[in-house]
Amino acid sequence: MIDNISYDRSLQGHRRVEHRLAARVRVVAEAYALLAPSLVGFLLFLVAPIFGVAALSLFDWNLMGAPSFVGLDNYRELAADPEVWRAVLNTIYYVVLNIPAQTVLALLLAVALNRRMRGGKVLRVVFVLPWMAMPVALGIIWSWVFDPRYGVVNQLLGTVGIDGPNWLTDPAWAMPVIASVNVWQYTGYTMLILLAGLQAIPHTLYEAAAIDGTTPVQRFFMITLPLLRPSLFFVLVTNMIGSFQIFDTVFVMTQGGPGGATDVLNFHIYQQGFQLFRSGYASALAMVLFALILLVTAVQFLYFRKRTVYDFS
Amino acid sequence: MSRKIVITGVATAALLSLAACGGADDSDSTGGTVTLRYAMWDEVQKPPIEQSIREFEKAHPTIKVQIELNNWNDYWSKLQTQLAGRSAPDVFWDHVSYFPKFSKEGVLTDLAPLIAQDKVDTSIYDPKLAEGWKVDGKVYGLPKDWDTIGLFYSTKALKEAGLTPADLDGLTWNPADGGTFVKTLQKLTVDENGKHADEAGFDPKKVKQYGLAMQAPTGQQDWWNFALQNGCTLQDKPWGRWTIDQPACVQAVQFVQDLRLKYHVAVPATVTNPPNGPSLDQVVGRGEAAAAMDGSWMLRAFDTALPGGAFGVADLPAGPVGKGSVYNGLTEAVYAGTKHPKEAWELLKWLTSERHQKAVAQAGAVWPGIPSLNDVFADAWKAKGVDVTGFKKAAEGTTMGYPLTEAADVYNVKALDIFNQVWLGQLSPQDAAQKITTEANAAIK
Repeated sequence: MIDNISYDRSLQGHRRVEHRLAARVRVVAEAYALLAPSLVGFLLFLVAPIFGVAALSLFDWNLMGAPSFVGLDNYRELAADPEVWRAVLNTIYYVVLNIPAQTVLALLLAVALNRRMRGGKVLRVVFVLPWMAMPVALGIIWSWVFDPRYGVVNQLLGTVGIDGPNWLTDPAWAMPVIASVNVWQYTGYTMLILLAGLQAIPHTLYEAAAIDGTTPVQRFFMITLPLLRPSLFFVLVTNMIGSFQIFDTVFVMTQGGPGGATDVLNFHIYQQGFQLFRSGYASALAMVLFALILLVTAVQFLYFRKRTVYDFS
Repeated sequence: MSRKIVITGVATAALLSLAACGGADDSDSTGGTVTLRYAMWDEVQKPPIEQSIREFEKAHPTIKVQIELNNWNDYWSKLQTQLAGRSAPDVFWDHVSYFPKFSKEGVLTDLAPLIAQDKVDTSIYDPKLAEGWKVDGKVYGLPKDWDTIGLFYSTKALKEAGLTPADLDGLTWNPADGGTFVKTLQKLTVDENGKHADEAGFDPKKVKQYGLAMQAPTGQQDWWNFALQNGCTLQDKPWGRWTIDQPACVQAVQFVQDLRLKYHVAVPATVTNPPNGPSLDQVVGRGEAAAAMDGSWMLRAFDTALPGGAFGVADLPAGPVGKGSVYNGLTEAVYAGTKHPKEAWELLKWLTSERHQKAVAQAGAVWPGIPSLNDVFADAWKAKGVDVTGFKKAAEGTTMGYPLTEAADVYNVKALDIFNQVWLGQLSPQDAAQKITTEANAAIK
């Protein structure tokens, strides 16, 4: 009897395990089925090319003849190439011009638009509009806007008696112009993410703080900013990655010029790969860019990991 | 089970997407009509060429021609990417600086058998132009045009400075004091207070009109000419090594920098640096420079910017070793991988025919590859009140062809970057010459 019961129990237990296992398999299969479309794309168009580029960086190949294996020669060459270092510095210069301006502007806009106000919804759409437009088309339009003779910018400056510079052919101005165009384009997107983050902060916290007699500025720094950290982390990481990969605006507006003043890493890669047809060397440069982004992202993760993530759901 | 499904799914999708990558360009022949792609880089020449091609299409109802226009910089990267991807245009403009590479890589159709088969008379072309495109009895292109460099000037600016076109004849320059060339340019350079560059009180920071504008991605329209006039050779021999670090060449680069930074008679590089600076016809057209060094292919552009005979063309100055100009010519070439070799050859024959080149010459676009038509071009401009015979005299005098090298890509990309820095005053001519020589030579195998 006892045996029977225990047998029965163990059988039941076994069945339960089997049942649970089947359920788990079903869940996992379902997950994979749902993941499949994007996973295929991810593997085929992202992971595979990354390995392809890593492999290609060990070869010398002009796209036409047969590739020849050169080991780490490409890396040795780029380490000694002053133009590569110029490109790295130019890229960092661009990121420094771009990210703080874009983040601060987006934060201010998000806070401003987070309150109930007339036309607030329309304004949100207006600020996000540039992000929806094509960067190449925007680059062309901004080139007109910054044209030294016929552009709107210099004509406006002219009305107040300022002789505007040659924005895109002056090495001192070319990069700031490129950066400002991108700030203008991506601030709306950043604002949108931060706005969502702001709306997740419970009102009760502000009410409590107000009762405690805090000023709005104190509330911003003691409540808004710390609680916005997850959203800020997200926009900083993704925007930083995007900024390091700046290409389209440079390609359309300056072609890396004047005199290499806007020759950023991604444009340099394009030039080596598709103007000089040194696809091995270009791949090695791409790996450098990859490593640079990985490093910066890792540092950001380390910094933000120490901070608490608040969950109000 | 689930894993198997996923793997099968991935594999199927991969195959499908690979299949989609193939056979993308089979759509160009429909209903017996063949569409040929014809690639070029000069917007100024496009209208008359397009017009003549309409006639070709009328004569060949089964052939349609689609012109693909890209500016000089994009043209070469695009064309070479297309060549690597086996999807190049059927017929395209070819340039001496890329010809060596192309002929080696076998991407150009050998026209010799076709010429023999159709008994095409190639003696009508200037041998100076036609010979350069033959390698071991193979013919990789037929002459399209030729060009030299001249001094385009605004007649209004000249008059305002109290000069006549005759004052631009026989000018000389030298590396020491700039010679009569710089003296004349000083008279043509005016600041906002109306002071000329040779007068006391001239403010080089507030120049209203400069004497000269220069812009050249490779050097063809600016320092190469001074180099030739100064006894510099860019290479030790055709197909050889670059020798730009020689003193005669460095002096020529220095002179171009001096025109901007020392004499203040040339438009600053912050305005004219390629590829973002406005083209020189615009710079002269809006009165920012009195004259510009530019190629004969720019005549139509200058005529648009300064219509009604408001511009003229003078010879380049003579340097320490005499006069001289860069001389160059393009060919029409057929892609070796074209799917329509017969039709492409028909188009090429049209483009290099007397009829087509006459039409293009009559429109004043470019000097034709067929010398007997040179007068057609000169007459077309004479009718507009512009004497262009100086270009022809330059072609008959001392000339320098485009350097023949395998390292054209490297030279072109690096020169744009390096010389822009020299013109901006960020790099010394000596350092620049050393740099470009080393880097371009490193690309020669």
